[in-house]
Amino acid sequence: MTTQSLEMYSFKANLQIVWSEVVKNFKFLMAYPVIFVFWTIFPFLWFIPFVFQGQAFVGSLQSAEFEKFAGTPDYIPFIVIGAILNGYVLTSLYGVGESIRREAYRGTLDYLLSSPCNKAFILIGKALSESINSTIYAAIQLAVGIFLFGIEITIGIILPTVLIIFLLILGLYGISLMLAGVSLQFKQAHDVAHTLEYVFYVFSPVRYPLGSLPFWAQVIGRLLPLTYALVAVRSIMLLKQNIMGLYQEIFLLLIMDIVAILLGFYLFNWMEKRTKSSGAISHY
Amino acid sequence: MCPHGFTLANLKAETRAIWANNMKEWKIELAYPISFVRQSVEPLVFLLPFIVYGLVLIGGRYSDHLMQLVGTGDIVTYVFTGYIIMGFIGTSVWAMGFSIRKEQWYGTLESIYVTPTSRLSFVLGMALHSLLHQGISVFLEFSAIYVIFDLALRIEGILPALVIFALMMLALIGFGIFVASFAMILKEGWIISEGLYSVLMILSPVAYPLTVLPSIAQQASNVFPTAPALIGMRTFLIENYTPEVMGNVFLHLLALDAAWIIFGIIIFSVTDSYVRKRGSLGKY
Repeated sequence: MTTQSLEMYSFKANLQIVWSEVVKNFKFLMAYPVIFVFWTIFPFLWFIPFVFQGQAFVGSLQSAEFEKFAGTPDYIPFIVIGAILNGYVLTSLYGVGESIRREAYRGTLDYLLSSPCNKAFILIGKALSESINSTIYAAIQLAVGIFLFGIEITIGIILPTVLIIFLLILGLYGISLMLAGVSLQFKQAHDVAHTLEYVFYVFSPVRYPLGSLPFWAQVIGRLLPLTYALVAVRSIMLLKQNIMGLYQEIFLLLIMDIVAILLGFYLFNWMEKRTKSSGAISHY
Repeated sequence: MCPHGFTLANLKAETRAIWANNMKEWKIELAYPISFVRQSVEPLVFLLPFIVYGLVLIGGRYSDHLMQLVGTGDIVTYVFTGYIIMGFIGTSVWAMGFSIRKEQWYGTLESIYVTPTSRLSFVLGMALHSLLHQGISVFLEFSAIYVIFDLALRIEGILPALVIFALMMLALIGFGIFVASFAMILKEGWIISEGLYSVLMILSPVAYPLTVLPSIAQQASNVFPTAPALIGMRTFLIENYTPEVMGNVFLHLLALDAAWIIFGIIIFSVTDSYVRKRGSLGKY
């Protein structure tokens, strides 16, 4: 074979790995449809108390005080968008981040890691399949949000929103790669995933605007990709801002993506080599 | 011969089994100290967004609208006194509901089932462990909120509030026994537990008075002990609090205690004999 045809073969083989992972995860999802129902419905149940809390404290669907921080008095669309985007965090942390641990539970991790392929493409496959699932959940939630909570959406809003969500997904999967690496070495990455979930939930503007937090908490919030994605998506959907005016948020999100993905791949490869040489891969 | 029936000797033996199960859970939990710390601070992490969100909505600590509804406008004290019970709902739907499933994960379910001990003792052992664990979490929540925000609680109301809390726990234990029977049949029972937890959160006046709920939801909240318990506890703990629903909280809770305990035990016994007859207990 010539070098060119070898490269072509290798590219096709890697694409096949990604595709196989997507198909495998889809089959798992179809085998447990209740998990699909869970991720579609439950994010709503988690934010409904905030809707009633708003009505009890303010007495209406708008708050002038809330507008000072959020730029919009409509607190319900604000938290609906927060819940939808936070769903990506949850599915990436528990879906991709713990996927390696799940392979160990199923007894397939050793085979996977000893297969003659680039492991990064296995993880890309897992991340891609999780992104597709998360986007289906988000689309259903958004449709309900439009129908029940008065979120307005136009074609002009959809494209920039998709772009920002894509950038958010890239950053989150960089973080998930790090988590997958940690679970290779330390097995129980569950606590790390939960702790990251808390950090995202408290310090990102999921339920309240970032400006309402103390300065030190805002600094932590600004280190998280979800913060910039939420600010940008809300600016587009609720404040009707043009995407060009959000170049700072988008640029910072892009920088975070690059750092997270590079660090994620480096950490995962390092942990993989470490566990292979120490023989800790098959430890439970 | 093992003691059996309603005798003092059997009661002592079952009490020892409950205690042994509680101690076993503590040993397992403390073997993972990081996980223990994370789980202990988790309720505080999920309480903070309710408080910060409330503060942002009204631009301060006192809500005029909440004052009109329940006679007190202090949102921090109101939300704190509501949220402390969430961990105990977790005792019911997670710790008790998952007690049998957990033994299956450990691989000890069959061994435990052939011992001459009541199955309920396993469930109650888990409940005792979870109660003590949640006590630690509530102490941490109280300390953090007291230091950060200060709390306006009536000291003389603590004792009657504890009596109400005890009555609520009895009904929640009955409810937990009912949920445990679900976990014997449904292998993906965590979704039921999560669902019940979320529904109870919505139907309980944790962060808002019952009056903001639709009337059908207000009616449904009467079936669960958390709504009357929170109303009763706040009446004793918060100065000038006006109960949003009139009625004798003690009688309401006593009736729910009897109903949930009897209902829970009946459903548990029926499910227990059903899964053993079908031979589906050990199925994974």
